[in-house]
Amino acid sequence: MLNRRDFLKAGAGLALAAALPARAAAGTAHVVIIGGGVGGATAAKYLKLYNPALRVTVIEGNRTYIRPYGSSEVLTGHVSMDDLNVSYDALKSKYGVDFVFDTVVGFDPARKLVRTAGKQRIAYDKLIVSPGISLQYQAIPGYSAAVAETRAPSGWIPGSQTALLAKQLKAMRPGGSFVLVAPPAPYRCPPGPYERAALVTEWMRRHNPTGKVLILDPKDSFVTDATMQLGWHRLYGYNIPDDYLQDMPAGVKNSGKPSPIEWVRAKDGGTVEKIDARSLVVTTHQGEVRADVLNIVPPMKAGKLAFDMGLTDASGWCPIDRRTFESSVHKDVFVIGDASIADAMPKSGFSANNQAKVTARAVVDQLAGRAPGEPVWENTCYALAGPDYGLFVADVFRLKDGKIARVPGERYLPLDASMAKIRLAAAYQQAWLRTFTEDCFA
Amino acid sequence: MGSLMKIWTLSFAALAAAFTPAHAAEPTGRAMAAPAPTGEAMAATCAACHGTRGKLGTVEFVPLAGMPETEFVRAMRDFKSGKRQSTLMGHVANGFSDSEVRAMARYFVNVK
Amino acid sequence: MSRFYFLAALVLAMNSANAGHAELPAPRTPSVNEVRSTLASMPRGDVQRGKQLNQSLMCASCHGDAGTAPTRNWASLAGQRAAYTYKSLLDFQSGGRHENDRATLMKVAVQGISRQDMADVATYYASLPAVATPAPKLDAAAHARADRLARRGDPARLLTPCASCHGAAGQGGINETPALAGQSVGSFVRTMQDYRAGKRNTDANQGMRQFAERLTMQEVRELAAYYARLGKK
Repeated sequence: MLNRRDFLKAGAGLALAAALPARAAAGTAHVVIIGGGVGGATAAKYLKLYNPALRVTVIEGNRTYIRPYGSSEVLTGHVSMDDLNVSYDALKSKYGVDFVFDTVVGFDPARKLVRTAGKQRIAYDKLIVSPGISLQYQAIPGYSAAVAETRAPSGWIPGSQTALLAKQLKAMRPGGSFVLVAPPAPYRCPPGPYERAALVTEWMRRHNPTGKVLILDPKDSFVTDATMQLGWHRLYGYNIPDDYLQDMPAGVKNSGKPSPIEWVRAKDGGTVEKIDARSLVVTTHQGEVRADVLNIVPPMKAGKLAFDMGLTDASGWCPIDRRTFESSVHKDVFVIGDASIADAMPKSGFSANNQAKVTARAVVDQLAGRAPGEPVWENTCYALAGPDYGLFVADVFRLKDGKIARVPGERYLPLDASMAKIRLAAAYQQAWLRTFTEDCFA
Repeated sequence: MGSLMKIWTLSFAALAAAFTPAHAAEPTGRAMAAPAPTGEAMAATCAACHGTRGKLGTVEFVPLAGMPETEFVRAMRDFKSGKRQSTLMGHVANGFSDSEVRAMARYFVNVK
Repeated sequence: MSRFYFLAALVLAMNSANAGHAELPAPRTPSVNEVRSTLASMPRGDVQRGKQLNQSLMCASCHGDAGTAPTRNWASLAGQRAAYTYKSLLDFQSGGRHENDRATLMKVAVQGISRQDMADVATYYASLPAVATPAPKLDAAAHARADRLARRGDPARLLTPCASCHGAAGQGGINETPALAGQSVGSFVRTMQDYRAGKRNTDANQGMRQFAERLTMQEVRELAAYYARLGKK
């Protein structure tokens, strides 16, 4: 494993004839993108839309993208693992984006070169890095990448762990406990862990009716918490905590009977201290819990590549210029998506998609010698409390006093929304998964 | 900043000032003077549901490409006021001023 | 993915029954008597209740407060025959209408509503005057062509006039057909395309499909503009 200095050294001394040239012909600038996820793909497509004459190269390790958004639906069998696959063919054939399926092992910001494991040297005029997240398994004593692959999957980056989790859920003994350890902020996809818990609860109601879902949380709240809990209450008889109950519509009353889904917040001792991978016993501030299936969403930081390239700060995320997302560390290098420090913008696919567009426009402007225009971003995501129960968060973001701020206003499904609206929101969530994927990759 | 860059920036700012209410370069602290993004930049935020450049097939959402300007403006106005029901369009419309909505409408009507 | 294979297998199995056009397997299309008896059992609708349901069931967000769709992509329902709207809602709820993702959305939208609810909204829309919707202007020749098809049909193609079922003013009602006056151009064209492609099969004895197949797309577009303008200004 290269440390950061070796990583930069591996990039240094690259120069010379073997490099893929940046400006091949007069005026043909080369924009290189590291990472073919939502951020990188959207950036590639929109760079080509804004200026078809640009050369755009995406360096990505996997030949097929596995989408994390909506991946919890694999656990319930609503979709299969194959359904999560997204092809890069459209980006190649429709927009003329070049792909290098390889990993980056060297970086020379002075000479504007990156080097791949396959010994390619790629020169750039502008570099966009969209490295996603790295899961900090080791932050939870007793947890590790190896444990996640074999025993207590995370599945927060989809793949074999998602498939394992689905398998474990199906094989869970009747009356067993599905324990989900939620992450501390900031993390990818704020409503995600709670949507997963909800979908698993609904599935268990049909396949394991005496089973239970327990969320252990180092936090006391989450984005969409009020609407999500109201959904749990209506669908699964969840008992809403007092501090949320007071804002609920009239007539919402807890039965007091045990519910198949429970949320243990930090204030109630939900913070996890350690896990025992063999016994699946989880030790929290409150006490011990034995899981039959243990799904841990660990603390997160920027993807490892961001660290290797020196793009991160002490927080473990990447500081950027808010207007363009140009790195505060390296000129002509931009960081978008989960890895970036984007103030009020949540870490989500939608945010990455919007950041990619603003950054693509800024890169095109910079290459043309224009000042970048005024940016605007959105994050409008649907989530589910059940297969027919939709909810959402909807924000518009602007630059305000040098930071990215939410335009004030309502952001959630109203608590008194009708069932017609809730059903529509669930249908729209399914549609959105498709339209979103198309906007990023096709 | 090189002198060439300065010239570009000044030219752009002068041009932008003709179309936007305030200086286009740096945001000021006052919300009133905040410059507006272009119609295209704002329209790009719609694409994840309404299709790249507003083009959609028969998916559940409304295609925006080629939509008459009055239709677009009226829809956003009615979403914002709540006159027209929606799941989240009311919240989204709230994020844009009337002149920004007109700029987006102008962008979409011209998409073939 | 498994749904795709299931459908593909069905299509193969039904190939002999459906010559050529169908991309989706056609459930057995209803007979005229079946359509008539469905409509005969329609409950009596209440206009005021229908007006409230139009809001509370979120219909208005796509179909408008007074049945004129706010965007030209959705169907306008003002002045639509109550029987036709009622049957359409039944078909959406049962999955009989499955021509595209929007039909799927309609299925979700009407999930769990009662036949009384359906009759009420249908009666509400029927009580509203059809309004002319924006449509491309037809030059004299195009207007004449559309008008001839509407009033005289085309005997060479065995096309009886549209008006013989849809009425001289596009008001519908004959043979349980829908009103076409004031229908949005987008909806009209899309509906005809769906009939041509075999995606719509709730029409009695595939009657509408046979007509749609024999028209050219230019004729379809001209008829769409023709009928869009027939509503009240």
